Amino acid sequence: MNMLSLITFAPLVGALIILCIPKEKEKAIQTVAFIFAGISLIASLAMIPGFDKGTHEMQFVERFAWIPSFGVQYFLGVDGLSFPMILLTTFMSVIALIGSLGIEKRVKEYFFWFLVLEVGMLGVFCALDLILFYVFWELTLVPMYFLIGVWGGPKKEFAAIKFFLYTLTGSVFMLLAILALYFAAPTHTFDMLELAKLTGGWDRTFQILVFLGLYFGMAIKVPAFPFHTWLPLAHVEAPTAISVILAAVLLKMGVYGLLRISYTLTPLGFQWFLPALAAIAVINIVYGALCAMAQTDMKKMVAYSSVNHMGYCLLGIAGMTSAGFAGAVFQMITHGIITGALFLLVGVIYDRAHTRDVSAFGGLAVKLPVYAGLMSLTCFASLGLPGLAGFIGEFLCFLGAFQTWKWHAAVAVLGIIATAAFFLRMMQKVFLGKFNEKWAGLEDMTARELVSIVPLAALTVLFGVYPKWPLDLMNKTLEHMLGK
Amino acid sequence: MNNLRLLMPETVLATLALVVAFVDLVLPARKSRVLYHLGWLSAAGVLGWVALTMGDSSAHGTGTLWAADPFSQFFKMTTLLTCALCLLLGLDYAELPDSGAGTFSALMLLSTAGLMYLVSATDLLLVFVALELVSISSFILAGFERRNPKSNEGSMKYFLFGAFSSAIMVFGISLYYGATGTTKLAAAGAVPGPMLILALVLILLGFGFKASLAPMHFWVPDAYEGAPTPVTTFLSVAPKLATFAAIARVFGAIFPLQTYDLTLLVSIIAALTMTAGNFTAMFQTDVKRLLAYSSIAQAGYLLIGLAAGSPLGREGVMLYSFVYVAMNVGAFAVVQAVGSAKGSYDLSAFDGLYKRRLGLALALMFCLLSLAGIPPLAGFIGKMVIFSSAVQAGQWWLAVVGVLNSCVSVYYYFAIAHRMFFKEPSDDSAIPVGAYVCGGVAVAVVGVLLFGVHPEPLLAGVRASAKMLP
Repeated sequence: MNMLSLITFAPLVGALIILCIPKEKEKAIQTVAFIFAGISLIASLAMIPGFDKGTHEMQFVERFAWIPSFGVQYFLGVDGLSFPMILLTTFMSVIALIGSLGIEKRVKEYFFWFLVLEVGMLGVFCALDLILFYVFWELTLVPMYFLIGVWGGPKKEFAAIKFFLYTLTGSVFMLLAILALYFAAPTHTFDMLELAKLTGGWDRTFQILVFLGLYFGMAIKVPAFPFHTWLPLAHVEAPTAISVILAAVLLKMGVYGLLRISYTLTPLGFQWFLPALAAIAVINIVYGALCAMAQTDMKKMVAYSSVNHMGYCLLGIAGMTSAGFAGAVFQMITHGIITGALFLLVGVIYDRAHTRDVSAFGGLAVKLPVYAGLMSLTCFASLGLPGLAGFIGEFLCFLGAFQTWKWHAAVAVLGIIATAAFFLRMMQKVFLGKFNEKWAGLEDMTARELVSIVPLAALTVLFGVYPKWPLDLMNKTLEHMLGK
Repeated sequence: MNNLRLLMPETVLATLALVVAFVDLVLPARKSRVLYHLGWLSAAGVLGWVALTMGDSSAHGTGTLWAADPFSQFFKMTTLLTCALCLLLGLDYAELPDSGAGTFSALMLLSTAGLMYLVSATDLLLVFVALELVSISSFILAGFERRNPKSNEGSMKYFLFGAFSSAIMVFGISLYYGATGTTKLAAAGAVPGPMLILALVLILLGFGFKASLAPMHFWVPDAYEGAPTPVTTFLSVAPKLATFAAIARVFGAIFPLQTYDLTLLVSIIAALTMTAGNFTAMFQTDVKRLLAYSSIAQAGYLLIGLAAGSPLGREGVMLYSFVYVAMNVGAFAVVQAVGSAKGSYDLSAFDGLYKRRLGLALALMFCLLSLAGIPPLAGFIGKMVIFSSAVQAGQWWLAVVGVLNSCVSVYYYFAIAHRMFFKEPSDDSAIPVGAYVCGGVAVAVVGVLLFGVHPEPLLAGVRASAKMLP
């Protein structure tokens, strides 16, 4: 059974079926989308028992020649680094689909592009051939362009093209770096595992140049300072469910790429860049938090909090310790879950009030207790309250980084305070204080909204009190990557 | 006789062109649409013939002025394919008077025959004669809409530029004769020196005119804008690719760029062509002009493969050429359908196309994405091979300029996509699509998708036919 192909291409089959359904049959279109995204989710969950946590080797490998005359293979496989990402993607896709049920405009196209996007995201995490990886990486761009540009907010068209051009510019340099690696390998291969064995033979300058090419592509996706400017715009303008996908999965592609490709294929370049990476991480953390603090638009605030949280991931990676790496990967998962929930929650209030301005509300906790409860839980998780999932990731990142980058970690801790400040201020303004009578007509969350958010909240608590399971999944692989 | 036998396909095609012209004289005007069919069937028939004899080594050999080898066969196929598709488009192009069908088809076929001679030529005499055959037919074709002032203007500019560049080419040939004592393209008797280099540079510039390389590209937008859309399609593909084949033969195999220190010059021309094409295309509001500049930029990418001067670069050029036929013909076919229906080629004609004809909008989208080099479409594979040849040759700066230009191109390709999918149409009526345009678009889109997802047969085919005879 080719599980990974099934997971990756089930949404594509769904997308093609949707193309054949007349556009008036919206229920049928939604059902098909759920069935095929569901197949991916179920198949990925079904892989859990078969996934061997005790090895760093690639599992569920599928390999055959795709373009033999250029040495390109169709090569899929998962290890402890990519498997959690695949689970995250299939899970968040279904959650985002539930969040997409409110879409009324051009339903057929929406679900078509959504499923194509899912194919790209899953492919990125499965691919072990650089060209295959690149193809999937780019495959996410076009659907995202349409999803932002057609269904987004007021400045959607600008946001869409900015996102596209920004990420494309990054990834073409990645392509050049990939081609350089290809020609540097005596066997002329794009196989990541093969290439990783050859790194000893490449000189430092070459590795630094290739690293910079790769980093440019990854950093824009992460987004690492100073390449983060596309993110607030894209996140704010995108429809709610797409913001969820952007935050939960697309940003992770960058960090994943850093670990999977940059770190393993250009170790000397990575070493050379470490001081800069640590500094960038600190800037992301502090600057992201300060920017978030300055926002009055809740969605924009959450968007900047993503810049801040990806900074923790980078800091964890820069630590080059098993705790740091584990923290980074764990932070990727928890950020996906928590920020996904935050975007959904902001979407809930926006659907009702048609504003996201923090100061427009007040005392909502009286009127919307369930909403206020879930929002508080998620905000606390996001600012790193112990007992919730966000804390574990941040703690491990700091723990891993502190051994090498004491001062950086010390400054970055200030970022946590700023994060706490802006989340608490938002909660205070929206939920506490005097009730704003203007919103007397607001209703609490509907069943559909609860179905999409409660699982995320539950996972937030679960991973907060029992982080062992996800950590066990990844430990062997990360230790192997660090050469232990 | 073996000598002439090698040129059988193009000779047959030229004869068929004359047959079409002759039938036009005796056929009543109301039936003259038959001549389009005769035209595309002739091209398709010869295409089938060339394709079937691809692997047949008895069809290959060296003649006095020409060489029929897998390389030239390959480019003959791309040219014939383009010609057949463009004649199909002509069937659905209302602005062409039916009474001109015979002349039109005959000129297209003659132009194609000229290009087929060009890709086989190993002697500058044949190169020149073939180029003139192509040019003169194209001048007339570009001005075929006699009542359209833009068509006249474009044709005139094309003619003047063409005459100028022919003169440059002839001057180059005369210098070449001076340096080598022959017009035969062979390095053996050539004495390397300033005169030979100057001759080669002038010949390169002469080719550059046909291939729309900067700084010889100024005629392109006007001629493309004014010409009937099927002719624009033809001009943007066939002469360009055939000229690249000729450049590859002269400057790839016979006088390698590296040996004559021309690599830097060609690299600079490539960079200039891409940049000029892309940065001018960004400001266009007429879709035909936009695609004209885009085709200039595409010529720049192709030239990267030649500047690399390696077998991989040559394969890249061949691969990209083949893919380019599909994506450019597909794009122009949709543009023709929309432009004819709206009576205007302004960008605003594409507003809300998704509502008026989703199939056309998607087809154009695929072709544009492929032109931009976004995977998993065929254009990506072509660009990847071309850029990798630059990386392999160590021409980093050229590869960087190339990929940056790809990003710039996305901006204006997506300006069209933006119109098609994000804007609302001024009226919701469906755009009529003729059966032949529909067929042309379908062939193009299937090619773009199929060779993007499964490029191996194409790559293997290209590798097998990259062989050149001296």
